[in-house]
Amino acid sequence: MPTLLEIHNLSIEYKTRLGTARAVDNVSITLDENKTLGLAGESGCGKSTLGRSIIRLVPYPGRILEGEILLNLDEDVPYENGVVEKGQINLLQLDGDQMRALRGKKLAYIFQDPMTSLNPMERIGKHFVEIIKAHEPDTPKEDAQVRTKDLLEALDILPERVLDYPHQFSGGMRQRVMIGLGLTLTPQLLIADEPTTSLDVIVEAQILNLISDLKDKFNLTMMLITHNLGVLAETADSIAIMYTGRIMEVAPTEALFESPQHPYTQALLQSVPDVRKPDRKLSWIPGSPPSLTEPIPGCMFRPRCPHAMEICATEPPPLMKSTSGGIVACYLYEGS
Amino acid sequence: MMGKSITISGVFIYLRLVQESFRDRSKLWWIVLGVILGGTIALVASLIILAARSNSGLGIPVVVGTILFGVSMLVVGLFRTLLIRKGTFSPRMGTLFLVGVTCILGVITIPVSIFILPAGWFDLWTVFVMGGVAIGIILLFLYSRYSWLKERGSPGFLTITGFLMVLSIIYMTVISYWIVPYDPAAINVGPILWPPHPGFPLGTTSLGQDLLSRTIAGGGIMLQVAFLSVLICFFVGVPLGLLSSFRGGALDRVLSLIMDAIFAFPGLILAIAIAAMLGPGVINMALAIAVVYIPSYFRVLRSQVLTIKELPYVEAAKALGARDRDTMLRYVLPNSLPSIIVVMSINFADAVLTAAGLTFVGLGLPIDVADWGWDLTFGWHQLITGAWWVITFPGIMIVLLALGFTLVGEGLNEILTPMLKE
Repeated sequence: MPTLLEIHNLSIEYKTRLGTARAVDNVSITLDENKTLGLAGESGCGKSTLGRSIIRLVPYPGRILEGEILLNLDEDVPYENGVVEKGQINLLQLDGDQMRALRGKKLAYIFQDPMTSLNPMERIGKHFVEIIKAHEPDTPKEDAQVRTKDLLEALDILPERVLDYPHQFSGGMRQRVMIGLGLTLTPQLLIADEPTTSLDVIVEAQILNLISDLKDKFNLTMMLITHNLGVLAETADSIAIMYTGRIMEVAPTEALFESPQHPYTQALLQSVPDVRKPDRKLSWIPGSPPSLTEPIPGCMFRPRCPHAMEICATEPPPLMKSTSGGIVACYLYEGS
Repeated sequence: MMGKSITISGVFIYLRLVQESFRDRSKLWWIVLGVILGGTIALVASLIILAARSNSGLGIPVVVGTILFGVSMLVVGLFRTLLIRKGTFSPRMGTLFLVGVTCILGVITIPVSIFILPAGWFDLWTVFVMGGVAIGIILLFLYSRYSWLKERGSPGFLTITGFLMVLSIIYMTVISYWIVPYDPAAINVGPILWPPHPGFPLGTTSLGQDLLSRTIAGGGIMLQVAFLSVLICFFVGVPLGLLSSFRGGALDRVLSLIMDAIFAFPGLILAIAIAAMLGPGVINMALAIAVVYIPSYFRVLRSQVLTIKELPYVEAAKALGARDRDTMLRYVLPNSLPSIIVVMSINFADAVLTAAGLTFVGLGLPIDVADWGWDLTFGWHQLITGAWWVITFPGIMIVLLALGFTLVGEGLNEILTPMLKE
């Protein structure tokens, strides 16, 4: 299976008045083509920052310190002053114009809040025509409009509604429009940042079904960022668990749910209700995550970990092969 | 009490239907509004009738012509509503249709004006068209009460009232050249300082000028100054504010500093200083007023843009590969314009008052131009002798014009920023 995206040793810092916070700390991850990677973790663990760094739109005052983000481009992408050549490229070395040519064309990003992600002053159709025109300026307007209508049909939205304004759509429809916008130019990688968080469960299910349908149809590779493990169980091929800016465990979805390796993953799964075991008491993880501005030495999960050992306080554990077929950052599995 | 409120589509995103506001207003409010509107229109109409009936040559044909023009616009407007309701036209096509027919009407008027006055047909024709369009808009307003305003409750009526007042004064000014009984600037057309009587219905000034002619024609300069200054403000203040807050950094700091420095001066004093420096003239007055008001456009737009540029849809546009120029012009600017429209209408009212003030202190126009500001200056001295009429009639017109613009501003403000009410 060819890899589409490789992230090596990526670190991102936010400089705040309270100190420097490492939102992403030495993260390495690979994403295979036509697979969905779920990125899960609690609020503030750096999963959105990691997603944003791929399109190089880390919000101010964030800064990418070091690392590589390698994308396997499948075709040359022209931009104003030249061409981004196909093959493996390091996104962090591209300049602003090159990066802009890739956004929307090869990399698409779906934001969390569909209610405010569309320009309230523009008709829906105009959004689509605009993105087509921005990346393929030679496309005649009529072609762009035909493509828009086809896309809307694929999203279960009546094509006549291209003339409507965003506020005439419901939240679920707007999120479908956002997904459609992301897929207009058939990108290679779709990053969805909590695409269903602000929607109710029924619409959430519709959107997830739509995403998995479209994934087959468009041959998509996806990165799904969420804190809802149930969503990932349904859609993801493999799941990465993040905690305080670090990757704790990466495993195929089934293996992660069946035999979680990292103590944090185990605790996380025990705090999710299970319909098959109504009698089980939900547990919680005592304490709260350490402040990112004052990182503790060693494993960041140590103060809350039931299996903490001496070595955990000195060196952060490296990622090791786990028995479930993934990788895990925990000394419990050293040497196994 | 939370009533029924519905969000409405269209150019302004924040438009909201507030039905309970009909009941919020007291009876007295409605009576006052009605008296103001009725009084203004009655006053303007009686002035026009008085003038057109006296020895003004082409007065009556011009009035009749413009009214005919307006009525035909109304008929076309009715036809348009009918066609839209039937589904033959989309609303946009309907508007195009209305504009097109108005243009055709304008062309038809050319031979008519050549027939009436072969020598000066162009002046006559422009008056026909401009006055006719003003009347037409008034009639369309009165007929449909532009449903998009009517449905918005009392703020909508406030806006319509203001629009009607301003339009009727504009109409009077536009046709003034043809209906005035005497040349408004000519002196000694009658006895000096006569009170109103049949020969001179509003009396005469201390220079023997006919006050009726001066009251009708005196608004021209003021309106020109107001429109020009608002245009200058808009085309300077808006791009500066947009660029400054969108780019940020050193540019933003320098521009904000300059604008705040201008803002720190008392407005009228600064306008007087600049007008004194530039000398008299319409453009110079407009410039002096514009300099005073550019900072308010700048600051309002800047604060709006600072909020809007952080909104998710701007970020989404960036994530989909939009250029800075596109996000600025297509996303940020249209969404921040509603607040600028409110500033504009308030700016109009202030410009009228400032223009009057500049003329009053003697920095306005040459003394031989008919202008309400001059009549205020002279009338002020003659009030001591008991000649109340010289200052009263031009004064009322200034008040009505400023009040009309203010009402538009207030109404739009309430419509476009409903948060103000909650």
